Amino acid sequence: MHVLLVLAVASPLLALLPLIQGPVDDWPKEVERACASPRYGLRLAAARKVANGGSAAVPAVVAWADKNGRNALPQTLVDAIADAATTEAPVLDLLTMWAADRDFYWRASALRGLALRVRTAGYRRVAILKLCKAHADDPAWLARTHARFGLALGGDDGAMALPESDPRARARLPLLLLQQGKLPPLQPLLDALGDERTFQETPWGQQAAIETHKTLKAWLGDDHPLAKGGAFADTAQALAAMQAACSKKSGQALTLPQVARDRDVTLAGGVELLSCKNGDQFVQWTDDGRVFLGVDAARELTVPAAAWAEVSKDRTALRLPNAMGAVVCDSIRLRWAAPQTHGKAAPASLPADATNWLKRLAQAIEDTGDAKAAADLRAGLEQFASR
Amino acid sequence: MALRLLLPALLLLAADDPLKVGFAKLASFDYQEGMTLPKEVTDLDEKLVEIRGFMQREVPGSEPVNSFLLINDACGCNGTPKLNEIVFCTLPDGVTTDIKPGVVTVSGKLYVGEENEDDVVIMIYQLDADTVK
Repeated sequence: MHVLLVLAVASPLLALLPLIQGPVDDWPKEVERACASPRYGLRLAAARKVANGGSAAVPAVVAWADKNGRNALPQTLVDAIADAATTEAPVLDLLTMWAADRDFYWRASALRGLALRVRTAGYRRVAILKLCKAHADDPAWLARTHARFGLALGGDDGAMALPESDPRARARLPLLLLQQGKLPPLQPLLDALGDERTFQETPWGQQAAIETHKTLKAWLGDDHPLAKGGAFADTAQALAAMQAACSKKSGQALTLPQVARDRDVTLAGGVELLSCKNGDQFVQWTDDGRVFLGVDAARELTVPAAAWAEVSKDRTALRLPNAMGAVVCDSIRLRWAAPQTHGKAAPASLPADATNWLKRLAQAIEDTGDAKAAADLRAGLEQFASR
Repeated sequence: MALRLLLPALLLLAADDPLKVGFAKLASFDYQEGMTLPKEVTDLDEKLVEIRGFMQREVPGSEPVNSFLLINDACGCNGTPKLNEIVFCTLPDGVTTDIKPGVVTVSGKLYVGEENEDDVVIMIYQLDADTVK
């Protein structure tokens, strides 16, 4: 009752607020700069301005997306709005709309924005937690991680213990929590520091290690082993020093991480399917039909020699350009040694012969008994098949 | 004695070899506009370097490019790259390249320092790229 009274009195005054604050910003112009300036730095600066504009800038953002397509919005703008502190209703509505849109490239960033506001969103907290709960097992690892991040910040410590098969996610969640001043179990972060694994030359382990070290360095402050300068002698010394420093500051019993390296196997090729919509998929193989699934090649299958020979014959007949369509976010990358091939395709841009070959690969995987992996690969391909 | 003789020769060789630089060093600090950049990165100013990363267009499109961004994260998983997480690469006049998939190695002369346009810092690492492999 009191709330309604306050709202009734305050609403006309709120309408006058822009006049009291001074000249109104030209939000359509700022949004245009944030989305279409030719220089990245200009887009970044404009994105921050739009984000700091809060609810006043939201109609211009929505209008731009309506005119140009939601997926034409740059990640810089969505991340800037996610990172801004405002909890005004139109901003929360915008982030919620984006987070719930499976087809929106940057829905994981929107989920992160909502997660960051869960402690300050007042009565909207329940709705944010409900949305996070709904995405806690999202097939896209980043969306899933950001949903669990929201749950954990909202007080649900069980979110940190949910099963997680993707090693990138296992490090990402505690990293985000530590950045927000909530001390998580630090062992996954220590383990990430020693991760040197790759996927078809993408050093995903070291990428996570760099981010993790920056976060631990900020948290340790003067307790960081190199706070007074210098350099680690080697990886082993760095891991030991970080383990000691983190154990001392956190009081947690932490074990010395092992350096994680790629399997000792000669890979002949691989397919990397990155999708913020359906989740990422990774397949690699050897010439003799050993097939590895997952970014960390954790699952190994063996395709019978005759079947693998047929699959390989079809693959070597493919001729793919380096670039297929204009990649903005989701993409599929195909890379193998013979004949030397390295191509990347945007959604709806993968040629029919390549799509058909990937379906044959999925069939070969299914024939080994892994029906789920095959079904996931087929479902993921739908987004990229040329139309 | 032998080492003393060898050293100048090694230094001469090293002067022509690009310095291998990683994002672990370039992005090791929290960049704030107007800050004094750490010595470990300003020491790289005007040095011939070799950097591994992912090519990204500065503006959407599909045509070959004369300039591109080199970043450490292909999937945007760590959010919007900050200015110290991007090397702005420019090829010689008239030279273009396709945006290559996967990790590439770019070599050339690196310039370190804030570059402004319209009173906004638009880059801190610029590379006059000679090769993209």
